[in-house]
Amino acid sequence: MADDAIFRIAGLGKAFGPNAVLRGVSLELRAGEVTVLMGANGAGKSTLVKVMSGVHHADGGSMQLGGNPFAPATPAEAMGAGVVTVHQNIDDGVVGALDVATNLVLDQLNAAGQGIFFNPRSIRRRAREIADRMGLELDLSAEVADLSLADRQMVAIARAMAHRPRVMILDEPTSSLSSNEAERLFTLIEHLRAQGVAILYISHRMSDIRRVADRIVSLRDGRIVGRFEDRPLDYEGAVNAMLGRSLGPRNITSKAATQPVFAAEGLQLVSGALPFSFELGAGEVVAVVGLVGVGKTRMAETLFGIHAPVDGQMRLDGRPYAPANPAVAIRDGVFLVAKDRAKTGIVPDFNIYQNMSLPFLRRFSQFGVARRRAERAAARRQIADLNVVCRSERDEPATLSGGNQQKVAVARWLSQPSRMLILDEPFQGVDIAARHDIAAKLRESAADRATLLFLTELDEALETVDRMLVMSEHTIVGEYLNREGDIDRLLADVAGGGRSAA
Amino acid sequence: MDSNLAEKPAAAMPETGSVRPRLPIRALLIRYGFLALLAGLIIFFSHATRGFASPQAAVFILQSVSITGILALGVTATLVVGGFDLSIGSIATSAMMAAAYVMVVLEQNALVAVLACLAIGALVGLINGIIICYMRVPDLLATLGMMFLLIGLQRIPTEGRSIAAGMTMPDGSTAQGAFSPAFLALGRHRFDLFIPNLVPAAVVVLIVLAVLIWFFLEYTRFGRMMYAVGSNARAAEFAGAPVKAYKIWAYVISGMFASIGGILLAARLGRGDIASGNNLLLDAVAAALIGFAVLGAAKPNAFGTAIGALFVGVLLQGLTMMNVPYYTQDFVKGAVLVIALVFTFALLGRNGR
Amino acid sequence: MEFSRRHLGKIAAGLLGAGLLWPAAASAQDMPAPFDNPGDVEIALVRYLSTGDFFQAYLSGVEAQAKALGVNLRVLDSRQDAALQADMVDQAIALGVDGIVIQHGLTESMKEAAQRAVDAGIKVVAFDVNVENDAIPQIEQSDRDLARLALEQAIKDNGEEWKAGYVYVAGIAPLDRRNETWVEFKEKYPGIEEVAQFGTLDNPIANSVANQARSVVTANPDIQVMFAPYDEFAKGVKIAIDEAGLSDGINIYSADISTADISAMREPDSAWVATAATNPAVVGEVSVRALAMLLAGEDPGHNVVVPPTLITQDVLNTQDIKNMDELSQKLPQFAHADVAVPGWMPIPPRD
Repeated sequence: MADDAIFRIAGLGKAFGPNAVLRGVSLELRAGEVTVLMGANGAGKSTLVKVMSGVHHADGGSMQLGGNPFAPATPAEAMGAGVVTVHQNIDDGVVGALDVATNLVLDQLNAAGQGIFFNPRSIRRRAREIADRMGLELDLSAEVADLSLADRQMVAIARAMAHRPRVMILDEPTSSLSSNEAERLFTLIEHLRAQGVAILYISHRMSDIRRVADRIVSLRDGRIVGRFEDRPLDYEGAVNAMLGRSLGPRNITSKAATQPVFAAEGLQLVSGALPFSFELGAGEVVAVVGLVGVGKTRMAETLFGIHAPVDGQMRLDGRPYAPANPAVAIRDGVFLVAKDRAKTGIVPDFNIYQNMSLPFLRRFSQFGVARRRAERAAARRQIADLNVVCRSERDEPATLSGGNQQKVAVARWLSQPSRMLILDEPFQGVDIAARHDIAAKLRESAADRATLLFLTELDEALETVDRMLVMSEHTIVGEYLNREGDIDRLLADVAGGGRSAA
Repeated sequence: MDSNLAEKPAAAMPETGSVRPRLPIRALLIRYGFLALLAGLIIFFSHATRGFASPQAAVFILQSVSITGILALGVTATLVVGGFDLSIGSIATSAMMAAAYVMVVLEQNALVAVLACLAIGALVGLINGIIICYMRVPDLLATLGMMFLLIGLQRIPTEGRSIAAGMTMPDGSTAQGAFSPAFLALGRHRFDLFIPNLVPAAVVVLIVLAVLIWFFLEYTRFGRMMYAVGSNARAAEFAGAPVKAYKIWAYVISGMFASIGGILLAARLGRGDIASGNNLLLDAVAAALIGFAVLGAAKPNAFGTAIGALFVGVLLQGLTMMNVPYYTQDFVKGAVLVIALVFTFALLGRNGR
Repeated sequence: MEFSRRHLGKIAAGLLGAGLLWPAAASAQDMPAPFDNPGDVEIALVRYLSTGDFFQAYLSGVEAQAKALGVNLRVLDSRQDAALQADMVDQAIALGVDGIVIQHGLTESMKEAAQRAVDAGIKVVAFDVNVENDAIPQIEQSDRDLARLALEQAIKDNGEEWKAGYVYVAGIAPLDRRNETWVEFKEKYPGIEEVAQFGTLDNPIANSVANQARSVVTANPDIQVMFAPYDEFAKGVKIAIDEAGLSDGINIYSADISTADISAMREPDSAWVATAATNPAVVGEVSVRALAMLLAGEDPGHNVVVPPTLITQDVLNTQDIKNMDELSQKLPQFAHADVAVPGWMPIPPRD
C-alpha cells in the first residue's frame, strides 16, 4: 500500500539550464521492499538519485522521509537522515589506501564527538560488528585497493549500512561485476531487505531485475511512465514503457551496398583473438553489436589508426589502408565519432563552431589563419541539418543537453565528406529525440560512404542499421540483416558468443 | 493497488530554445571589471602623484614590465596546452649570462650573442618538451628540474663569477671582449614617438611579441589546436592533432620568449649577473594568471597576460611613486593575484560552467 | 653544493689518498708551530653566501692565503641554508680540522655550532656574522666606515644641504649597519632631506631596483643625491637615471666595488661618482691570517677590522683603472691591508 511508504516523492522537477531532466516525478518506497527503477540512458535516473542524496536540489516538488519533509542540503545531511546512496563508481565509495576495517568505520571517524586518537583495536571491533551484521566475510585487515571489484562493492555497501539507513539507493551496482560476483551482491540485498530497509535499485539489466525486483518503476524523459507491482511482474511491459515501444525491427528498408568501400582481411585485434574478415560498402549502415568489453572500441580505434592490428590487412577503395595515427586516417577519409564524448570528443573550452571545425581547421584556414566566417557558416549548416537546440553556433557545449552535445560531436564529422564514418556508441547518454535525429541523419547522408556503428544496445541497432555484425571476444562471430527472423538467432549469438567466425 | 499506470509517452523532448536571461550588470562586471579596475588605478595614481600622467611615465611603466611581460607571454603558451614552465626565469638569466659570455669572453658581435641566446631558449624548450611528452615526467617536475639545472649551469663557464667587460677569468687572465654597442642598444635605444627618444626598444619588443603571440593563439589554426590540446588532449588527438608536437612547440615558444627576456635583461644591465630568475618567474606567472580574469576569459590568453603584466606594473610603479615602503609590494602583488583568481574561478565558475 | 672544477679535482685527489700538497711559500723553520709542518694543518671555510662577485673574490683571498701558508683548505658551502651551515660546522669538527672560518650566516644558527667547535678545541674565526663568543675573533669589513667614507664624499661634492633618495632593505646585517651611519649623518646634517626610500632584493637586483628608481626619480625630480650603499643598488639606480636622462643632475654614492661597477662608474656622464669598498680578497686573506695567528697561539684581537678605501670616478679615470686587478695595482691601500700580519706570516704574492 502506498500509505505505508517510508519515502515519498511528489512532483519532483529539476532542470539544467534549458534542459528539463525531471518533469514531475512521483514515487514511493516501502520498507523491506526492492523497488527497481528502470530507464534508458538520459531518462533522468542519475539526476533523480542525486536529488534524493542531496547532491542536487530540486526545482519543484517535495520529498518525505517517514512522514517528515526531507530536503537534504548536502550528501552528508541525507546520509545522516537515513538515506544512503551507493554510487555506480565503486571507488567513490571506498578509500583504496586504507584497510577494510577503517573503511567500514570511516564515516564514524569523521563524525563529531570522536576523540582525536586512533585506536586500531576499537576500530577493528566496531568494524567486526558491522561486517557480522551484514554477513560480510572478508579479511578486515586487507587493504581495499587489493580487493576485487565485487569485494570493494560489498565494503562500500557495508560501509553505507553502518549508518543504519532507512532508505538505500543502489545505482547500477552490478555494472562492473561478473555474474558470480553479482550473485553475492543479491544475497546481500536480500539481507538488507530482511532488515526492513527500503531499497531503490537502479538498473536496466534484465537479469538483475528478474532476480531482485519486488516492483518495477519505469522512467522515461524525466517522468514515471509505468508502475508494475502485480505478480508476476510484467517485465516486458516495463521495458516497453521504458523504451516507449516494443522491441523488434523498425520500419527500416534495408539497403544493400552500392559499391565496396572498405575490406578487412584476417584482422586480428589483440593477440590471442581469432582473426576475422568483413566488407563494408557505400550506402549501407552497418552496426557491430556486442556486450560491454568484447572489443568493440578496440576495433573502432584500430580502424581509425589509434591502435595497430596484430595481424591482417585493410583496404580502402581498393588501396591498402594502414593508418599510423588518426591524422592519417582523417586524411584518407576515415572518421571516428569516438565513444564517451566528454573524454574524446568535445573540447569543453571551445564553442560549438570551434568544436565542429576542429579536425578540419586546415581546410578552413588560409596561410595558417583560421577563417572564422567560413567555420561559422559551416557550423550553422550543421546545426540546422541536425536540429541542434542552441542559441547560436557560439554557445559553449556545457550549456547543451547531452543529446545536443552528441549532435555536435557527430556533426563535426558529418561536416566534411568521408569514405568511412565510424561511430562508437553514438547514442550513449542521448535522449530518444536526439537519437532519432542522429540516426535519421546518418541514414540520409550514407549514400557515398560506408557507415559503421558500434553499439551495445541491440535496440539502437535495430532502429538504425541495415546489417549487423555480432562481436564476441575481440572477433566477429555472426552477421545478420536487419529483418524479422534474423533477430532471434542474433540474440542468441550476442548472449552466447564464441561461435566460429562468419 | 494501482498498476501499469502508463503515461502517454512524449514523442520528443520539448526543448525550449529560449535564452536564459543573464544579469547584464554581472555580465558587464565579468567582462570589463578588471579593465575598469586598471583604468581606476591609473586615474587614482594620476591624481595622487606628480608625474604619473605623462607619456614618459607610461613608457617606463611598460619598460618595467617588459621583461616579465615577455616571459609571461611565453608561459601563456605552455598554459594554453595545459602545461606549465617553471624554468623561464632561469632560462632568462642563463640567456643573459650566455649573451655576456659570447661578447665578453668569446669576443663575438651582437648578432652572434642574440642568436646564441635564442638557440639556448629553443633548445631548453625542446628538451623540456621532450622530457614532458616522451619521458612522461609531469610538467611541473620536469621544468623545476630544468630550473635548477640552469641555475647551476650558468655558473660553470665562469666558475660562479658575474661577467662584465674587463673581468678576471678563472685562469687569472683578463677578458678582452666587451658588450657591443648594438647589443646595448636593445636595452637603451629609444624610438621617437611624438616626443623624441620616448619609447625604449624593450617596450617595442614587448608590444611586437604580444601582438604576435596574441594573433598566433587567437587567429591561426596552430593556436586553436594548442587550445584544443590544453582543453581536451584526447579529443584533439582523436581529431587528428599531433598532440605531442603541439606541446613541445609550446615549450619551445616559452623557452624562446624567456631567452628574449634574457637578452633584454643583459642589454639593460650591461653585464651578466648570476641570478636564479625566480622573481622573474613568479612575476611572469602572476601576470599570466591575472590574465585569466581579463575579459572574463577564464583561460590563458595573450591579451589577458599583457593586461595582467601592465596591471602589476601600474600598481607597483604607482605605489613606488607614492613612496610606499618596498616591503608592501609583494603583498600588493599577492593580493591582486588572489583577487584575480577568485574573480576567475568563483565568479566565472558560477556563470554556466 | 657549489664546486668549481678545481675543487672537484681537489676532492678527487683527496679521495684517491694522494693527499693535498700545497707548495709551501715560506721556509718551514721560520714558522711557529704548527706551521713548521703546514702540510698537516687543515682548515675549513664554512660559507653561508657564495653567489656573486664579492663572495668569489673573498674565496680567492682565502685560497691565496691558505696557499701562502701551505695549509690544506676545505670549502663547505651551505648556499644560504642556515641549518645546513650549522651541520657543516659539525661536519668540519668530525673531520678533525684544526681551524674553521665561518663566513656569514645567522647568529641564531651559528652561535651554538661555533661554541661546539671551540669546545672541540678547534680555533674559529667568523667573518660578518656575530657568533657572540669571546674565543672567536670577529673579522669585519667595517660597514660603518664604508658608509661614512661615501657620505663624507657626498658632503664634499654637494655641500651640506641636499635632497636625497635612499636605497635600503632592512634585515640584512651589513645594510643595517650602513643604515645606522646614514641615520647618524641625517641627524648631524639637518640640511639633508630624504625624500624617498626604496629598495628590493628581487633578483636580478639591479633590474628590480632600476624599475623602482625610475618611478622615484619621476615622482621626485628634485633629488640631487642617491645614496645606494650596495653596488647592486647603485647599478640599478644608475640604469634608471640613464633611462630618465637625468645623469647631469643626480650623483650616486655607494659601497662595494667590482669590475662591472668600475666600467659603470667610468661610462661617459656616469652619475655614479664614488663608492667605498674593502677588497673582498683582502678580507679573505685577513680571515685566514687571523685564524693562523690563533693556531700559532697568538691573539689577533677580538675585532679584526679591514679598513675600506674610497674610490671615486676621478681616480678611476685619471689612473685609467679598468678592472679589479688594476685597482689593486694602482691603489695599494686597496690591494693590501696591514691587518693580522705578524713577522712570520707569509703574504700571498700580488700580481
